[in-house]
Amino acid sequence: MSRLWTNKPLALALCACVAFTFSCAHRKAVVAPEPPSEASAEAKTAPQPPGEGTTVVGPEPRVAAAGHPESGVTTSELPADLEELNKAGYLKDAFFDTNKSELRPDARETLAADAAWLKEHPTVKILIEGHCDEHNTAEYNLALGWRRANAAKDYLVSLAVAADRIATISYGEERPFGTCHDESCWSQNRRVHFVITAR
Amino acid sequence: MKQRIPLVCTLALATALAPPAAAQEEVYLKVTSPGLTRVMIALPGFPARPGTDQAAAASLVATLRKDLDETAAVGLVPEENARLVVVDPGNPTLTRQRWRAVGAQFLLDGSLAGASNQIVLEVRLWDLTSGEIAYSRRLQGSVGLAPTIAHTLANELVHLFTGRPGPFLSRFAFVSDRSGSKEIWVMRWDGTEAQQLTSHRSIALSPAWSPDGDWLAFTSFLRGNPQLFILRPTQGYLKPLSSLPGVNSSPSFSPDGKLIAFAAGDDGNTDVWVVPAEGGTPERLTHTIGISTQPAWSPSGRQIVFTSAVGGTPQLYVMDTEGTNIRRLTFEDKFADEAAWAPDGVRIAYTTLVEGLFQIAILDLRTNTRSVVAGPGNNESPCWSPDGTVLAFVSNRTGAKQIFMTDPAGRPRQITTEGNNVQPAWVAQVQ
Repeated sequence: MSRLWTNKPLALALCACVAFTFSCAHRKAVVAPEPPSEASAEAKTAPQPPGEGTTVVGPEPRVAAAGHPESGVTTSELPADLEELNKAGYLKDAFFDTNKSELRPDARETLAADAAWLKEHPTVKILIEGHCDEHNTAEYNLALGWRRANAAKDYLVSLAVAADRIATISYGEERPFGTCHDESCWSQNRRVHFVITAR
Repeated sequence: MKQRIPLVCTLALATALAPPAAAQEEVYLKVTSPGLTRVMIALPGFPARPGTDQAAAASLVATLRKDLDETAAVGLVPEENARLVVVDPGNPTLTRQRWRAVGAQFLLDGSLAGASNQIVLEVRLWDLTSGEIAYSRRLQGSVGLAPTIAHTLANELVHLFTGRPGPFLSRFAFVSDRSGSKEIWVMRWDGTEAQQLTSHRSIALSPAWSPDGDWLAFTSFLRGNPQLFILRPTQGYLKPLSSLPGVNSSPSFSPDGKLIAFAAGDDGNTDVWVVPAEGGTPERLTHTIGISTQPAWSPSGRQIVFTSAVGGTPQLYVMDTEGTNIRRLTFEDKFADEAAWAPDGVRIAYTTLVEGLFQIAILDLRTNTRSVVAGPGNNESPCWSPDGTVLAFVSNRTGAKQIFMTDPAGRPRQITTEGNNVQPAWVAQVQ
């Protein structure tokens, strides 16, 4: 099973299949839960997947996302100060299961929304921090956090966010969001956290 | 530091004049095979000639007694037995037989002398079974170094009986947050004389000593991303060693001190790499899917044990130093990480998971059996004493994470108290 998780193309295919099953009553080849409406015209006309085991790649909706009319926020309207910008919380963190770096469905939803926002603000650059709870040893967690940060980056890139806008770092268990010792807290510490580094 | 030079010179001279140590080791190594009880030494004290600094003499003997009572290899004849021995100054042979009768296997006798600022210790170690002198030494230093002279002698005695250096001049490098951020610290093996080595005010992690104790490799977030650094503790000299993409963590020196294995990797992968300790281009050793980290070199220099999650959960694997012949070592653990190869090359201590808590386990490579040394709370990050007789580890049994050391009887003793103190790395002597 673990080999499946670590096989990127196959994992993507699985993601695609899951999204496909849950969101597409009409058997559209759609991966991302976002965007809601008209964006997937291209996908609607896409050919059906020929059969099992085929890598169904997502619609990659709006590549040129700047100034999306509905968003109401353009780069120029963002807070000038990076600290203020980060406090505003435009980008939501995604959470993980214990010991895992695979993206949960809720993490994928969060990241899809983050990807949409990033595409609306194409000059923004980000750092993705990988964080862990204290379930593993410190140095293993450093590697696990690195894996989480890059899993999030890979997903954003698959949603057409340019890779050169995204830096990654792992803090392992060194910068926990909560310092407590039960699951409610641990689950908060298993995350990728977004920091806007340029607007 | 200047004061140490005459001591070192004298020691070097004494070593040159002494009979070859290797021949002695062959005889006495057998005495302390694993499982046997400690070698009992009688230490009646050293008569001091006129002119000897009395305070230094007392400090030297007290330190020597304390040291010798704290190892698994040797023990002192208990005071109640020693009191029974009637010393006959005119008949040393008879006196030695009396020591033997109260359970002593060896007798350490000698004398102290000194003038001006110096103290001189001359000792002989009698093998009470054969009646022969097993070892003799003359140690000299300034009176302020009396404890160091005792530590040096205790080290040599342990070396004589185990073939490995004693712990008495040894130090821990470790990570402490007591200054407000995680920094690299160094302290004596008993927890005294803690010194802060880094002030990066960032995150410093995973210190590792070179075998000679002249270099310390570690990970620091000093420049944002984690990078591998190396420093000379005696000189405060810091240089970067690897800034590969990834974690750049978990350095481990090869036994010859020339190479450093560590963990790094691009795109979320972490693999084991190796880089020359003096700097150079890192070479990748593993090509596993997912995480491979925490390399630890075998004492033979031929193998590297590491943690890999290639099978789903973190487990220990071993490979040749070329990256070939990878095989899995742990099968009974839900989790196995932080491998530390014992100096004997036969045992590997590591961190496992028992009922949701970290515990230390020891894998015996001869029998392929594993034993768990469970204690209260979480217990992790095992590291061997330089002589391989005891383990240090990290436990949160008293609240914060603290470094503990097992005494010769296997009882844990807490040696840090301030802040959180983790990732101990033990070296025989800092050069």
